[in-house]
Amino acid sequence: MSATRTPTDWKSDIMQKRIAGRYAAERRFKFAGLFAVVLSASFLAFLLFTMMGNGLRGFTRTEIALKIDFPASPLLLDPAAITDESLNQANLPMVTDTVAKKLLGADADALLSPTAWISIRDAIKADPKILSRTETISVPASTGLDLAAKSNGSPEMEAAAARLKQQGVLSTGFNFSFLTASDGTDPTQVGIWGAFKGSLLTMIVTLLLSFPIGVATALYLEEYARKSWWTDIIEVSINNLAAVPSIIFGLLGLSIFLNLAHLPRSAALVGGMTLALMTMPVIVIAGRNAIKSVPPSIRDAALGIGASPVQVVFQHVLPLALPGILTGTIIGMARALGETAPLLMIGMRAFIATPPGGITDPATVLPVQIFLWSDEVSKGFVEKTSAAIIVLLAFLLAMNGLAIYLRNKFETRW
Amino acid sequence: MTGPAIILLLAGLGAIAWVSARARAMRLQTVARATGRRDAVHSLPGYHGWYVALWTLIPAVIFLAIWANVAPGLVTQSVLADPAAQSLPLDGFSRSAILGEARAIASGDQAGAFNPLSQGLVEPYRAALNKYGVAGGVLALVLAFAGGAYAFTRVRPDFRARTRVERLVMASLLIASLIAIVTTVGIVASLLWESFRFFSMVNPIDFLFGTKWSPQSAAMGYGNDDAFGAVPLFWGTIFIGAIIAMIVAIPLGLMSAIYLTQYASPTVRKWMKPTLEMLAGVPTVVYGYFAALTIAPALRDFAVMIGIHGASSESALAAGLVMGVMIIPFVSSMADDSIAAVPQSMRDGSLAMGATTSETIRKVLIPAALPGVVGGVLLAVSRAIGETMIVVMAAGLAANMTLNPFASVTTVTTQIVQLLTGDQEFDSAKTLAAFALGLVLFIVTLLLNIVALRVVKKYREAYE
Repeated sequence: MSATRTPTDWKSDIMQKRIAGRYAAERRFKFAGLFAVVLSASFLAFLLFTMMGNGLRGFTRTEIALKIDFPASPLLLDPAAITDESLNQANLPMVTDTVAKKLLGADADALLSPTAWISIRDAIKADPKILSRTETISVPASTGLDLAAKSNGSPEMEAAAARLKQQGVLSTGFNFSFLTASDGTDPTQVGIWGAFKGSLLTMIVTLLLSFPIGVATALYLEEYARKSWWTDIIEVSINNLAAVPSIIFGLLGLSIFLNLAHLPRSAALVGGMTLALMTMPVIVIAGRNAIKSVPPSIRDAALGIGASPVQVVFQHVLPLALPGILTGTIIGMARALGETAPLLMIGMRAFIATPPGGITDPATVLPVQIFLWSDEVSKGFVEKTSAAIIVLLAFLLAMNGLAIYLRNKFETRW
Repeated sequence: MTGPAIILLLAGLGAIAWVSARARAMRLQTVARATGRRDAVHSLPGYHGWYVALWTLIPAVIFLAIWANVAPGLVTQSVLADPAAQSLPLDGFSRSAILGEARAIASGDQAGAFNPLSQGLVEPYRAALNKYGVAGGVLALVLAFAGGAYAFTRVRPDFRARTRVERLVMASLLIASLIAIVTTVGIVASLLWESFRFFSMVNPIDFLFGTKWSPQSAAMGYGNDDAFGAVPLFWGTIFIGAIIAMIVAIPLGLMSAIYLTQYASPTVRKWMKPTLEMLAGVPTVVYGYFAALTIAPALRDFAVMIGIHGASSESALAAGLVMGVMIIPFVSSMADDSIAAVPQSMRDGSLAMGATTSETIRKVLIPAALPGVVGGVLLAVSRAIGETMIVVMAAGLAANMTLNPFASVTTVTTQIVQLLTGDQEFDSAKTLAAFALGLVLFIVTLLLNIVALRVVKKYREAYE
């Protein structure tokens, strides 16, 4: 050690430069972190914004008001005897076509939805008296005109839309049939009710199966099971199931539920069973954490005044752990609601135009409906797909919001 | 008698059993208390009620479950014994078709017959269905009565009803916990069984190391020999899930975690953490649609603009980018946990030596937390390679072995979906190949998870 060593001169230019450099690096690093957060968040914002931009238009529908002079039309119907049969024999599609050509010009075919006659049929059915006078009936416009009216169509359709708007027969309103109809081939007619009902039935089956089994498993593992190789196996399989890709559950459903047990294909029952196997580990893991957080003093006190082990658990531990279990259940159900791949495996991708009546009827679910519509070539399906996505996201958001609310409201710190 | 009617009847019987047994136990309790012995009745009245109700329901329900499986066979047998069945064709397929049609008409699922032979069988079928339906219902009710009566006679002050009921509760808890094992065994068994059938048609070596994937040509009868080489699929899966997605997710996830834990104010943290977690909550079909509709066309236009050949509207890059974004919250929360697990003293030591915050993070915290971060990344990879919808919708079907991120590649999960949707014959190598791919996927994700958890656990122990 030489005695000539002097303390570092922090004021020297070199040292000042070094410190400035280090501080700059500090700022750069902090900025990089901020940038990562902002970039991730803005991706989410971009995704939601795109879906909103495309999807909100899917909730509206363009309609053309047809002023139909029924007595002068080629429609042969007796207003006194209107039945489903007589309406079916009246060849309404052709009559609609003729009337529309007279009112809208030769290109009426391209302007009206191919199912426009259904609106006329329903109007006649609701009030047969209109057959003896001139009545204005709103019928859905074709996909091309619909897009053009929302300023996103082909040039000729844009022109037609402008012309009709000038005549004052074009109107855009909320598309109720999107909420009440089911899948179809024509984008102006499709709706999400069928898929929504399918999702609902599937979720009910999933909940009824996974919740009791999940809670019972959590209670057994946390409260009763002694540590042994047996409980180790149970624990390992639950942790593994939580990590298995969802499509593998679909393969299981296909080979066991469909090919071995011969349950009905495409049904909410099989979908719900498959998703229940997937949701159960989530509930078990959340349930065990909730049960673990109930302090032992509660159990000791109950045992001390003579409760049996089963009474301790069902009358004291379970009620206290329930908010935590419910939070986990809702999160698991939200995941199951958004799941698509396993349901494709068990045949839920079929085209189903009527809502399911029960859990063994062929059904489809919202995410699968989104997938099916995304494959459609017709341009009108883009906004319908995005609109269905908005509905799905709204439900997921509501479920997650409920979970957070439950957690905040009932969370007890011991 | 129909199924719902029997179930309603049984439920009613159970309720009656519960109420009457409970009432009896309560009377016993009053009597016992009148004699001054408060502990004379062992169990609370409710337990007696449950005991009798369970004895009423469980035997009957078990019987009905067995009956539902046995009865169809008995019905068919008695129909076949009918003289009208003598004219049935002997060939098994058309025979069962006719029988099925007759059954559908008899139970009201179908209005009319296509086959005249089945029309003649409708009446015998209806009679047999009716006979066995009534027999099953009556037997179930008799069992319910017998069980309930037996249990009711046991309601006595010293009868330990609570112990019995609790034993059943414990047994059902145990059975519930076995379902997890049954599911795991079911997955492994079904994958192994179908894969075994596949490997009896296709050489495993060809499957695992072959480089040509064209199951369509095998289905059309060109032979199975070199149509099932899965290497292009493995490459596509790794390319999208383990390379492109991780290039996006690791820096963004890690830096987000660092910023939110080390720099951000509590308010920012409180709002941004759930926001980022929302990325993991968006359904994958939404990501897939977004990738296919918005990201992929933009990337293709970009690739064409800078002059890259072979740019496709379904690209590995589009799928990988979107998947990476989906994975960000996983990486970020794992990194968050492992950084939080680094002892505060190490951080304090570094800061006391005059290191800036970023120097502490880069040279102390991250090296110390590295095993945890690596474990988290492995978990994220296992999640990414099992992801299905994004790649189905955005990555394409062409089994290419390419390094060009703008080209279309296909993955294991995409091909499973592709092979199993549409018409299925359960003896063709094409359909069974999906299960072999599933087996590979299952094993790989399982191994990744085991390794990751072991790494994380070991590292936690090191600091405890």
